[in-house]
Amino acid sequence: MKDLLATVKSNKKIAENIYMITLVLPEDAGKMHGGQFVNLSTGNGANLLRRPLGVCIVEGDEVSVCYQVKGRGTQYLSTVEAGRKLRVLLPLGNWFDLDGYSDIAVIGGGVGVFPLIATIREYYKSKNFYSYIGFRNEDAVCLWNELNKSKKLTITTDDGSFGEKGNAVSAYLADRNNIRADVIISCGPPVMLKILKQKLKEEGIKTPCFVSLEERMGCGMGACLVCACKSASGENLRVCRDGPVFDINEVQL
Amino acid sequence: MANLQVELCGVKFKNPVIAASGTFGFGREYNLLYDISVLGGISTKGMTLEPRQGNSVPRIAEGASVILNSVGLQNPGVEHFIKEDLPFLRKKGVAVIANVAGKTLEDYGEICARLDGLVDMVELNISCPNVRAGGMALGIKPENILEVTRLSKSNLKKTPLIVKLSPNVESIAVNARAAEEGGADCISLINTLTGMVIDIERRKPLLANNTGGVSGAGIKPIAVRMVYEASHAVKIPVIGMGGITCAEDAVEFLMAGARAVQVGTANFSNGNAMPEIICGLEKWLDRHNISDVNEIVNTLTLN
Ligand SMILES: Cc1cc2nc3c(=O)[nH]c(=O)nc-3n(C[C@H](O)[C@H](O)[C@H](O)COP(=O)(O)OP(=O)(O)OC[C@H]3O[C@@H](n4cnc5c(N)ncnc54)[C@H](O)[C@@H]3O)c2cc1C
Ligand SMILES: Cc1cc2nc3c(=O)[nH]c(=O)nc-3n(C[C@H](O)[C@H](O)[C@H](O)COP(=O)(O)O)c2cc1C
Ligand code: FES
Repeated sequence: MKDLLATVKSNKKIAENIYMITLVLPEDAGKMHGGQFVNLSTGNGANLLRRPLGVCIVEGDEVSVCYQVKGRGTQYLSTVEAGRKLRVLLPLGNWFDLDGYSDIAVIGGGVGVFPLIATIREYYKSKNFYSYIGFRNEDAVCLWNELNKSKKLTITTDDGSFGEKGNAVSAYLADRNNIRADVIISCGPPVMLKILKQKLKEEGIKTPCFVSLEERMGCGMGACLVCACKSASGENLRVCRDGPVFDINEVQL
Repeated sequence: MANLQVELCGVKFKNPVIAASGTFGFGREYNLLYDISVLGGISTKGMTLEPRQGNSVPRIAEGASVILNSVGLQNPGVEHFIKEDLPFLRKKGVAVIANVAGKTLEDYGEICARLDGLVDMVELNISCPNVRAGGMALGIKPENILEVTRLSKSNLKKTPLIVKLSPNVESIAVNARAAEEGGADCISLINTLTGMVIDIERRKPLLANNTGGVSGAGIKPIAVRMVYEASHAVKIPVIGMGGITCAEDAVEFLMAGARAVQVGTANFSNGNAMPEIICGLEKWLDRHNISDVNEIVNTLTLN
């Protein structure tokens, strides 16, 4: 983990309301895995909190993250130009550790796809990915070429304007008997993860399932305790340090 | 190279820069970023006798140049600290300030007695709701401050006592004097200001707890004014904090009368904030041909 002043190499729109920012790190921050995240300054000094964003693409000393413009911070971030320096703390949290698995079902929705892309990139040469990815509509679809490193890719949109009409969880459930996944990994809006947990239970699916959670953060490294979530037994866990990746049965959603 | 060492109530600090309670845990995580033995001291997360779970999430929000938090008092309890974290901090050679809180008045006495002689200083967090004050904080009314300070002090035979003042009060000078009269060895301030952020789409407060403590760069002018008032109201030493992000900010607090400073929210914006402040302080002193940081304490002249 390092706290560095990185240089913005590029910051461009890749889909409706979605940007990819590429940072050049001044020094090596160690190996980064899919599911891990960075805590990135928005570039606006009035935003004292940095934004947690999933590591998406790592190439040499360059790290790219993709973000949706939601509130004031990401709005400002989208105006940051190449050449500017931004403070970034990285790499943070645990990751989707796929050692020992060979066939992976990937269920992603919205901005949850970005950390999943990092995982696919990390392992696609040695493992089979079956990906079910939901976007709002055609305009939101992005990084198709990265997702397509999967052995099988199903894209859904809420309105059917691209791929199948529907959502990622239903697409996986409809297809699950055609694939033989030995693990499920998922990241997406809280409602999606909730539905996934419920469906796995209802359908008696015993395949191990790991999900990446979101929570508002302060320090990003486990010291301030603002990012609490609850374990199945009701204990507090820190999303930033005990997660963001958890066994779906070990956290309350 | 200027001297940075300061002494408060007989406790030596390598430099006057201390991690503020609640932003730094027990130092273990930041120690992965840099060797925390460079710090003057660490004020721990607020501890209680028993482990606590804290408030619901969201526990943090943002305003312009400030943040709000409502962590509550999530902590593993004082026994866990003594067994697991204190030995680690001791090995690091930083001054250890145990920040403590209680639900009842008696809690404060008991936790002080437990920590007496084990830590370098005890810091009372009296900004949390307390049964004795009818669910309000003990830190609001001078008579409550006097009472909790007296009780805590009577349970500390070896370890000096810091009373951390809340800014959400009528008169900081009166409250500082109440702490001094109650036997405090030192005062620290400011704790967070109470604030609210509203999610206008949901027409609800953003924090699950509705309100939260405001901290960070934006509160600095208020904090400096209060540190000035408090340090001129009492004879005991004062530790200043509130919005410090760089060495120059720390210098302001020292000039206003603080003998040392604490840094909280700045650690979130820049994980290396404290080592950078320490380094910057030394450079600032050298640039101004000042050989000892203690020389700038309380050197403000009013217009
Ligand atoms: C581990 C992790 C990985 C993430 N990865 C991505 C990603 O790859 N791409 C992406 O677009 N988004 C991602 N998010 C969500 C992203 O952090 C928020 O959308 C973003 O912080 C919103 O900032 P803002 O300035 O737009 O909103 P504002 O409302 O201005 O933010 C105010 C504060 O709330 C926090 N906040 C608001 N919404 C969220 C949220 N959903 N999760 C966490 N903090 C929030 C902000 O960080 C900031 O501290 C991730 C979140 C986490 C926890
Ligand atoms: C996340 C967070 C948790 C805090 N927890 C405590 C606490 O447990 N006890 C306490 O006395 N102060 C606590 N504080 C207050 C800080 O110690 C400090 O008084 C305040 O944040 C002002 O300093 P700053 O602007 O440098 O952050 C907390 C502050 C933050 C941001
Ligand atoms: S953000 Fe500080 S503990 Fe998770």
